[in-house]
Amino acid sequence: LPPLTYKVVAECSVSKARAGLMTLRHSEVRTPVFMPVGTQGTMKGVLPDQLIELDCQILLGNTYHLGLRPGIETLKKAGGLHKFMSWPRAILTDSGGFQMVSLLQLAEIDEHGVNFRSPFDNSECMLTPEHSIQIQNAIGADIMMQLDDVVKTTTTGPRVEEAMERTIRWVDRCIKAHARDDEQSLFPIVQGGLEIPLRERCVSALMEKQVRGFAVGGLSGGESKHDFWRMVHVCTDHLPRDKPRYLMGVGFAADLVVCVALGIDMFDCVFPTRTARFGCALVDSGQMNLKHQKYKHDMEPIDKQCNCNTCKRYTRSYLHHIATNESVSCSLLSVHNVAYQLRLMRSMREAVLVDAFPQFVKDFMARHFGSDPIPSWIREALSAVNIELPPDASEDQAVNS
Amino acid sequence: MKFIIKSISKNSGRLGHLRIKESSELQTPLLLQTTKGGSIPYLSADVFGLVSREQQVLQLTLCTMDQMAESLDQWNRSLGDYVGYPDYNTLLLLRDPCEVTPSGGNDRDVVPLFTRRGKESLTAERYMQLVTSFAPDVYQGLCDADTNPESTKKRVQKSVDRTERFMQHCFKQHRELERLKDSTLLAPIVGGYNTFARTQSIKHAREQPKGTYGGYIFEGFHTNGIAATSLNPSQLLPIVDHCVQQIEDELPRLMPGAFTPVLMLELIRLGVDIFDTSYAYCAAVNYKALTFSYCIDKEEHSAFLDVTDEAIKEQFTPLLEGCNCLACQKHTRAYIHHLYKTNELLGPILLMIHNLHHYMGFFDVIRDSISADQLPALLDYVRHQNMSTDINYCIEPNNKTVGKAAMGKGFITAAN
Ligand SMILES: [Zn+2]
Ligand SMILES: [Zn+2]
Repeated sequence: LPPLTYKVVAECSVSKARAGLMTLRHSEVRTPVFMPVGTQGTMKGVLPDQLIELDCQILLGNTYHLGLRPGIETLKKAGGLHKFMSWPRAILTDSGGFQMVSLLQLAEIDEHGVNFRSPFDNSECMLTPEHSIQIQNAIGADIMMQLDDVVKTTTTGPRVEEAMERTIRWVDRCIKAHARDDEQSLFPIVQGGLEIPLRERCVSALMEKQVRGFAVGGLSGGESKHDFWRMVHVCTDHLPRDKPRYLMGVGFAADLVVCVALGIDMFDCVFPTRTARFGCALVDSGQMNLKHQKYKHDMEPIDKQCNCNTCKRYTRSYLHHIATNESVSCSLLSVHNVAYQLRLMRSMREAVLVDAFPQFVKDFMARHFGSDPIPSWIREALSAVNIELPPDASEDQAVNS
Repeated sequence: MKFIIKSISKNSGRLGHLRIKESSELQTPLLLQTTKGGSIPYLSADVFGLVSREQQVLQLTLCTMDQMAESLDQWNRSLGDYVGYPDYNTLLLLRDPCEVTPSGGNDRDVVPLFTRRGKESLTAERYMQLVTSFAPDVYQGLCDADTNPESTKKRVQKSVDRTERFMQHCFKQHRELERLKDSTLLAPIVGGYNTFARTQSIKHAREQPKGTYGGYIFEGFHTNGIAATSLNPSQLLPIVDHCVQQIEDELPRLMPGAFTPVLMLELIRLGVDIFDTSYAYCAAVNYKALTFSYCIDKEEHSAFLDVTDEAIKEQFTPLLEGCNCLACQKHTRAYIHHLYKTNELLGPILLMIHNLHHYMGFFDVIRDSISADQLPALLDYVRHQNMSTDINYCIEPNNKTVGKAAMGKGFITAAN
């Protein structure tokens, strides 16, 4: 059996949304899926058993961080990351390249790989496509990413095309270096900046490679949302139907809903756990900053509908007092926030299964934006896949007056 | 609160039953769960549920929770419920035994409360107001406990006099306040290391009509935090013994603080009934897993495993072989060492899980030993761990910071 099989279980009859089943060596993953980020081999203050209780099916690990600590020798001796961190379900790793470029000074990319200064002795070092794969083979994640040529999403001009072409060349080097193809699946990454023809060329070049799924990269880095959704749209238009599609680094609730409508299956984002550290809980209407004085005497749970252990036992009032003061608050809010993301994905999947996804999207947007106007990019993106949102209340008024 | 003594032995301490409100019967010697801001440190209630399914008593501290008083005024369920433990009983202390309490600030009519937001000066009136907001099942009386082995005679006398004054108010209010009619008051005994002062302090409490308070809390022996782990037993034990001799057998005695396992056993032998888990916490935050043995065997054991130790970097074995806590069942020394190096929150979580589990197991064995009249044998075993010298159970502050050197080099290839 291949290490990854994917089948579309249901498709929305209106939009490009789909429900799928991805079978990996460590777990079955029901898509669309959100992957919480466990950067250093742990998800911020949450035990593996708690993640399983939340029905988390796949976690993301960061190759750059894991390569530094504990390091590949230790990971090899441990028998891979699953065993090292006692996580029995699926793991996906990134290539390490993006983290280097965003975290390290002096990271530069040439045809060989990513040049950088070692964070511990400042010596000149390089991460090549081959090396990234070696590390990811040692980590042993179910899904791994190719090393890609990363440029800022706002970059324009020939550098974008160069990065796209180089990314395609590097896929071959990664495939060649991949030593555990019977256990781990390597995803190439669609690049091409904010230019539709480049994205199209990249997708068609990558579709010639022997791979079991695709990632869409180079987005979610500060580009305009109007560009963002168009790039996702063009990629999903051309990517094969029978393989999973992973949109890297996207995780705000409204973005998740739009991108599922555009046909994306997998997402990851540090936001749910990062915002937990600052005392913020995710709810349908956005974020609830529990540090706000208005929650001081609020004896309701964060969300009455939520069945996570935090909402079962704790009030907003108590969380208000301990948020950012006691470290346990970070665990409590992370549990709720991950539960929120996973539940959102589950409800989208269920909506697709009964072909009620467009209505789900409309209801969600109404809850999410309330009386605020819905951003035009969301209207346009959804309209591109035949979901027409009702006009904003304020637009009505504009028309009437 | 109801306390029934089951057995008293000259050398083996005493066993008892404690029933707080409608709780199930709790066995003494009893271990209270120490908390910060109402939560067991680092552990959410559902994670603590993986450590113990038994009903516990939470030791809440006013200095980490005072900001919640106003909210609690509007809360109509139990204090335990507010902090996520609806089935647990609560006991409210002034100070946090886990952290060193700063000295000073004891003016004539106030006791300082060192909170996260700074120092607040508590009068007896204000204190009883706060207690009323919290409505704990058990609470301590207000006292000046700012004494330690070095305190002067004058300072000690002041702590006794002030405490007497504070307690006149507390006793009176305790009898009168409707909201506290189901709460039990613990009378504080202060007086540093001075037998005369301790006698006076006990006399002040015992002058009250029977039934005014339901137990004693011994204060003023140390000022909390890891300093309690290095108390000198030959100084401490005679004075505790002196106190125990002068109070009635029928009431339970609480002594908060991070005492070493050996000192705790000595105190139990003298007749102290209630302790807390601050030692387990202090070890965890200083990156130590408790590894001392309390199941008598012939092997040598050390007090701790230091998880910052490079030597365990690739030890894929549990913190403590044979331990059936969640941390030891599922995770390795190597992983917990990695969590330390990456400064990840799961590190102290796993250490707390192990240390609490270990310490609760220790208390089970202590109660068994008392009932078998074998406490001295256990004490001797814990003291030596089959080594030729006494084990050092003192917790040193571990201020290690994770530097760049802690990063593995396996990742990096040199540029060519
Ligand atoms: Zn929740
Ligand atoms: Zn253990």
